[in-house]
Amino acid sequence: MTVHAELLAKSRVFAALSPRTQRSIAEKAALAEFSEHVDLYHQGDPPAPLFILLSGRVKLYRQSKENCQILALPVPGDCLGAESLSTGTASPYSATTLTPTTAVTLSPEVLQILMDEHPDFQEIFLRLITDRLKQFVTLVHDLAFRDVTSRLATVLLARADSEGQAVEGGVVFDRLLSQQEFADMVGTAREVVYRTFKRLEDDGLINLSRQSILIRDSAALRAIAQQETR
Amino acid sequence: MSVSLQISPEDLREIPAFHALPDEQRMSLAVVMVRRQYSAGQIIFMEGDEAGSLWFVASGRVKIIKQSLNGRVQGLCLMDRGKCFGSCPLFDMEKNPATAQALNEVTLFVLPEAALEQMRAHDPHLVKALLHIYSQRLEHLARVSEVLGAWTVPDRINDCLLTYADRAALEPVVELTQEKLASLSGTVREVVSRHLRLLEKAGIVRVEPGRIVILNVDALLPPCACEERRKPA
Repeated sequence: MTVHAELLAKSRVFAALSPRTQRSIAEKAALAEFSEHVDLYHQGDPPAPLFILLSGRVKLYRQSKENCQILALPVPGDCLGAESLSTGTASPYSATTLTPTTAVTLSPEVLQILMDEHPDFQEIFLRLITDRLKQFVTLVHDLAFRDVTSRLATVLLARADSEGQAVEGGVVFDRLLSQQEFADMVGTAREVVYRTFKRLEDDGLINLSRQSILIRDSAALRAIAQQETR
Repeated sequence: MSVSLQISPEDLREIPAFHALPDEQRMSLAVVMVRRQYSAGQIIFMEGDEAGSLWFVASGRVKIIKQSLNGRVQGLCLMDRGKCFGSCPLFDMEKNPATAQALNEVTLFVLPEAALEQMRAHDPHLVKALLHIYSQRLEHLARVSEVLGAWTVPDRINDCLLTYADRAALEPVVELTQEKLASLSGTVREVVSRHLRLLEKAGIVRVEPGRIVILNVDALLPPCACEERRKPA
């Protein structure tokens, strides 16, 4: 499928490129559709293509046998992939779709050409890497200094901010993740997440349903999220 | 006190990020960069400080740490010769996200923020070098997140021993105090010391003042060891 330059403007970072660079990228890009639970790339693989997420949700994670840590949940407009293009090393993490997903893709070969021909694209690529880096610094901070309740509160608030919809009684967003995946996000066991969710629900801070999560008291949740217990 | 001195283009050959740079590029870098010396324990910059320079380790070791409001310290990484840290304005961050502290006698080459910004605008080679640096850091932090979030404490301590051991030696040695080991593996000193006693009893390590000698590398590999962990850091 051909890609129109307008699609690139859906991504915050690509929108900043010159029209000439945008056209040049669009010519070399492909449009791809994925169903849910499809692996986009694996930790340990050679450098992956770059995906500009147009719709759908993806999880980025590292896994070693039974242990998994979810690193990020990009939203439409975000980019992922090509993390190890500059070093030529293996992909530092895996990406799997959580829902049906569409994305503009740029192969590693094309990325290399774009970087050589368009200096402004190099800057964009640097920005993508440093943005992700910033996220990981925060994640490491949270994993090191906050307890499970505070980390779960942080995850819920971040999702409410980026994808929540104001409704009567609070802010609601798609549940998207299984109990196990929530555990993989906050770095704990499934049972602990289950208990933590239950406590937040009993205290009237959230409502949990099969499909969605309602934040009822974001001020109280924010207070929990900001606690550094360690 | 830190002392500033001149740097020669030859000095910069030692820095991997500058390997691919053309000679004239190294020349112009050498003109704008300065040399700084720090003694063991000295703070290079603090988390929250405004500081935009890019720092390269010419010799010695620097630790990059984060500190909680309660004073607990989490090590992010140890930077040895050739490694690079700092330069947060590139991230749109006004403040340093972590603290850098000299672990021993350290010599650093510093690229000041103004020079960095100016060179970056005119020089695709430098942007390439930066991309390389930050991609490496991204890989490292992805791994730190997994280890902190998904690994058990004993596995984390073992991994730390392997990561920071001088693997070139016949008997790899970790030149770190138990306090530092605890900070890097996200736990407290008591837990590290209890775990080391177990490892010592099993004949896997020998604990000496200020250092740990690894007697059996394979026994420290986690059950899920993948290939990357066998590589020296």
